[in-house]
Amino acid sequence: MSSFKKLLSLVTAAALTASAMAVNVSALEAYDPYSYDRWGDPVASQAGYTAEKYVDGEIIGCGNFFEPADLFISHDDLMYIADKGNNRIVITDLDFNFIREMKEFSYNGETLTLKKPTGVYVDQYTGNIYICDTENDRVIKCDTEGKVDRLFTKPESELYDQSLTYNPSKVLVDKAGNVYVIVKSQTKGAVMFNSEGEFLGFYGANRVEQTAEVLANAFWNLIATEAQRERRAKQTPIGFSNFDIDDDGFIYTVTDSQEVDTDLVKKLNPRGDNILDSLGAADMTFGDIPPTYYSIYSKKSSLTDIDLGPSGELNILDFQHGRVFQYDKECWQLFIMGGSGDQLGLFLSAAAIESHDNHIYVLDSRKNNITIFTRTVFGEIVTEAANLYNDGKYEESLVPWQNVLKYDGNYRRAYIGIGNALYNRYEYEEAMEYFKISISRGRYNRAYEGYRDQWLKANYMKAIIVIVILIVLIAVYRKLRKRGKIVYPWEKNRKAGV
Amino acid sequence: MLDLTRGQFVKHVVTHPFEGFEDLRWKKGGSMGIAFAVVCLLFIQQIAYSRLYGFQYYSDYDKIFNIVPYIFRSFILFGTWVVANWAMCTLFDGEGSMKNIFINSAYALIPYISGYLIGTVMSHFLIKDEYVFIQSIEIIGTCWSFVLLISGIKAVHQFSFGKTIALMLLTLVAMVAILFLLVLLLTLFQQVIIFILSIYTELSYRLRV
Repeated sequence: MSSFKKLLSLVTAAALTASAMAVNVSALEAYDPYSYDRWGDPVASQAGYTAEKYVDGEIIGCGNFFEPADLFISHDDLMYIADKGNNRIVITDLDFNFIREMKEFSYNGETLTLKKPTGVYVDQYTGNIYICDTENDRVIKCDTEGKVDRLFTKPESELYDQSLTYNPSKVLVDKAGNVYVIVKSQTKGAVMFNSEGEFLGFYGANRVEQTAEVLANAFWNLIATEAQRERRAKQTPIGFSNFDIDDDGFIYTVTDSQEVDTDLVKKLNPRGDNILDSLGAADMTFGDIPPTYYSIYSKKSSLTDIDLGPSGELNILDFQHGRVFQYDKECWQLFIMGGSGDQLGLFLSAAAIESHDNHIYVLDSRKNNITIFTRTVFGEIVTEAANLYNDGKYEESLVPWQNVLKYDGNYRRAYIGIGNALYNRYEYEEAMEYFKISISRGRYNRAYEGYRDQWLKANYMKAIIVIVILIVLIAVYRKLRKRGKIVYPWEKNRKAGV
Repeated sequence: MLDLTRGQFVKHVVTHPFEGFEDLRWKKGGSMGIAFAVVCLLFIQQIAYSRLYGFQYYSDYDKIFNIVPYIFRSFILFGTWVVANWAMCTLFDGEGSMKNIFINSAYALIPYISGYLIGTVMSHFLIKDEYVFIQSIEIIGTCWSFVLLISGIKAVHQFSFGKTIALMLLTLVAMVAILFLLVLLLTLFQQVIIFILSIYTELSYRLRV
């Protein structure tokens, strides 16, 4: 009897462990993970990332943060936090061990301090640190010791409207050492300096959205006199709010606006052209897709930060709903995570996002902490499949995509991926089925073309024979009908009468 | 000459756009049953066009299916056309009765309906690059129907060509007016019903106390 009890307890223990593991695998999120289907309707999905823990200033050991504004992970795996309220830059490693903080800087013998810094960037080629010293109207370029090399202040140029304030909020540096600074008051794009601190111009302005109002204004400007035109309100685009640069030198910008829809996310080449057009994603809706029906409860996403992941993923932070939207480099939606609230994984005021390896770090300026998301098993599979797919290895991506479907039957892209793999293997009929489920007409059309060719090649003789027989039958029928050999019952009366 | 059954008259009318309807008029060969069947076919064709078209060309939002738009596009629009045409043409000395207008207009729709039905069937066998074949059949069907409709209205009222065109345009205006009044009427009836219902609710509360 005791052996039976032992067995029973063993089984119970095993079941408990298994259920505990199951919980760990899919982790109970504080929000319902979802994705979008072909029609832009939200559908339930699996979590691609799970909020693992949060870290605040106490845990790091540098004293609490106060309204931190920016987060940056450098090439040597250090995390820089612009602690705006405490006027300092905190540096930790990726395990959140405190390394040092930067508060004072030496510049030609004087000591400089920060006032509300909101942006920090580390140049991966030279190791220099760039800090947006926002309320001191300057960008500081210094080395790791805090020795200031150069200050980027308001350009004294005719091109730069001197009446505008100069409060740099974000900064980044390209391969050539050019410095791009986002200034809130400036709608012409990022202010661009060369490495010598000379003002070069503006970079990558957004376009003005074409609305009825803009068209009407263009009309009135056409008939207005010069003096009237001077006094009319100018149509200005909305300046972008944040950016990031990838290793190839493309700059990704996000615009935080609830009013306009154009140019909210852009991928800019060094000339400042948006090359998302070439991906067919220029008119895509990033962030939440607004429902087709009107609702006072649905608000548009406002995109505050963008970050590039290791394989070119775009992580876009939505301040309005506290959500992170992850897209792959072809701008396909991968995962949506987060929400607004107090629990772990939800945000009150999401300020900045960074990613490293399979982690995503989100800085919240009201909760004064950093939330760490880690990719789940499902997330790993999707990422693997998406990367293979984007590299054109459709057939290798077949098995990962099939695994994706085991987790989430709503994942539209998996159907497309499987369909493409089958298509490349000339299995057109099966491919058509998957393309039909995923509602991708263009691909279905190609698969159908292949299927029809295959069918015709296989059944060419049969088809010809059937057509010939049909023609003969029709000819015979018409002959007989003409001779009056075939009379339908409802015609009998009339024929008899005539 | 021309001792055709009612069924055979359909073929005669459709294949003889210029004298077909005149023959139909003099021989009284029109059938209300066939005409109504054609309008039902129009209804089926409207549904087939948006639901059964080849997937490579077109797919509709299929989570919901609302039949009202299809009823409107076939029965209601056709009925309004007939009523409006009769109303306008009678004012301008047209000879057609409502029944004959119904028959002629329905017969005139046959090429349009069959063009689109054939197109729908073909869309299951052709790929996107070959859409021009489907499109040409659909366009030919539509144009043919248009010619038949002019000829049919002309024959039924014994109008000149110019007067027929003018009255068809007037008919369109009358259709808009009729539909507008219908919507207005519906809204007003809704108000009346709500009014009666609220009186009932009020009374039922009072009586209970």
